Amino acid sequence: MIDQMASDNSIPPIVQIQLQSALDKLLLILPPPSKADLPGDWPILEHALKTFIKAKEGSWQPEVPVHLIVEDRLLDVRQLQAIAEILESVHLNLGWVQTTRRQTAIAAVTLGYSVDQAPRIPTLLIPDPPLASPLYLTSPVRSGTEIRHPGNIILVGDVNPGGNLIANGDILIWGTLRGTAHAGAEGNQNAIIMILKLGASQLRIADLVARVSPEAADQGEPEVAYITPDGIRLASARSFKKIK
Amino acid sequence: MTRIIVITSGKGGVGKTTTTANLGASLARLGKKVALIDADFGLRNLDLLLGLEQRIVYTAIDVLSGDCTIDKALVKDKRLPNLVLLPAAQNRSKDAINAEQMQSLVDQLAKKFDYVIIDCPAGIESGFRNAVIPAKEAIIVTTPEMSAVRDADRVIGLLEAENIDRISVIINRLRPEMIQLNQMISVEDILELLAIPLLGVVPDDQKIIISTNKGEPLVLEEKLSIPGLAFQNISRRLEGQDIPFLDFMAAHNSLLNRIRRRLLGPL
Repeated sequence: MIDQMASDNSIPPIVQIQLQSALDKLLLILPPPSKADLPGDWPILEHALKTFIKAKEGSWQPEVPVHLIVEDRLLDVRQLQAIAEILESVHLNLGWVQTTRRQTAIAAVTLGYSVDQAPRIPTLLIPDPPLASPLYLTSPVRSGTEIRHPGNIILVGDVNPGGNLIANGDILIWGTLRGTAHAGAEGNQNAIIMILKLGASQLRIADLVARVSPEAADQGEPEVAYITPDGIRLASARSFKKIK
Repeated sequence: MTRIIVITSGKGGVGKTTTTANLGASLARLGKKVALIDADFGLRNLDLLLGLEQRIVYTAIDVLSGDCTIDKALVKDKRLPNLVLLPAAQNRSKDAINAEQMQSLVDQLAKKFDYVIIDCPAGIESGFRNAVIPAKEAIIVTTPEMSAVRDADRVIGLLEAENIDRISVIINRLRPEMIQLNQMISVEDILELLAIPLLGVVPDDQKIIISTNKGEPLVLEEKLSIPGLAFQNISRRLEGQDIPFLDFMAAHNSLLNRIRRRLLGPL
């Protein structure tokens, strides 16, 4: 059986990159700058953006215009160019930048983008859209990679040791889980994790944490993790429906 | 079209430099013009493995500061007229060079050579970034140890986010007898985790240490040893030839080992 671990209240809030579809364009929303390491979080953000965009490649029509929403994040010409290049690598065109910062606006104008220097529009910054579309991933989640999504996550591939998958909804892994999967990250106790092949890993649902030891791993059939009054439990996929 | 390949691993001590030296020498013997770049500023070793230590006059830093041309800094190998080395500066740190400067060195070499092979330093900091950014292809070197495989996985994730077209893996220091006894991760398990194509497997052999100390790559020996043959096969695969993988396991699947495996049981 799996070991329950002390609940972890220090799970950081979801701060993430979002790509939303809006009529004839895509909205790329960058998280606000973290106060702790300003402006040193750019390399992390740049890498996160590359990983995020590559993971989602193929889920849009080519050459769709992208509206970048950065609010009060400060971006210079070089950083805006880097973002544009990342988008171009997957056939997306940056066309419009929305910011509340004057310097960012000037940098965007210098590069020839349309700028909206409107004050903060709260509706676009809701970190948790009530109906987030599922995130469908087809590349493995490798060590050091963290994927966060406000809705459900479907992964066709493995989560390798050191990889992190975090969803506000359910997680379905059509592959082997050897890293960490966190379903219901905002506190949804009904969230479940469905795993094709379970390796030594860590399972988190809402604020509960359980460890899957190497001995408990791989029972030879797909499993489902869910919350019971005794903590996180595993059931074989076949019997899960009956339990519910 | 020049092939620009970075040899990297994340973890140190898995055999990046040995691999670079042997692949460079082997490709040169196949008639290709090869330039090796030591990107390990401050901890250079590639010159030593090639036996070129005493022949270094200028380094990459001298080229960048304009003290000499790149042709002057290239150290030629007497045994292999097709092979040159662009040495790193030993008295500098990784911050002595940035990605744009590395790119300019690679661009200059790409005009004259068929292969530019970059020996990447361990770690994923600035030295790694400098070595990776100019590259079009990457070869990951790993050993059958969980720590090396995990670091390789991390590095592959970083490379996938960059514009690297092809990533393949070399599994170094394989010890067939330990795999037979289930004491080491198998090639299949490593490939299952990393999910990238296998370029070759090199068995562990004390000859590698001897060759390192002598400054003579294994692939230059008259009669090739097994690791030397493995490196030669890898260079042929890079050239697009279809070379079957050596079977190291067959020799070790003896009756004695089968009995030992039974008695010891799986790990």
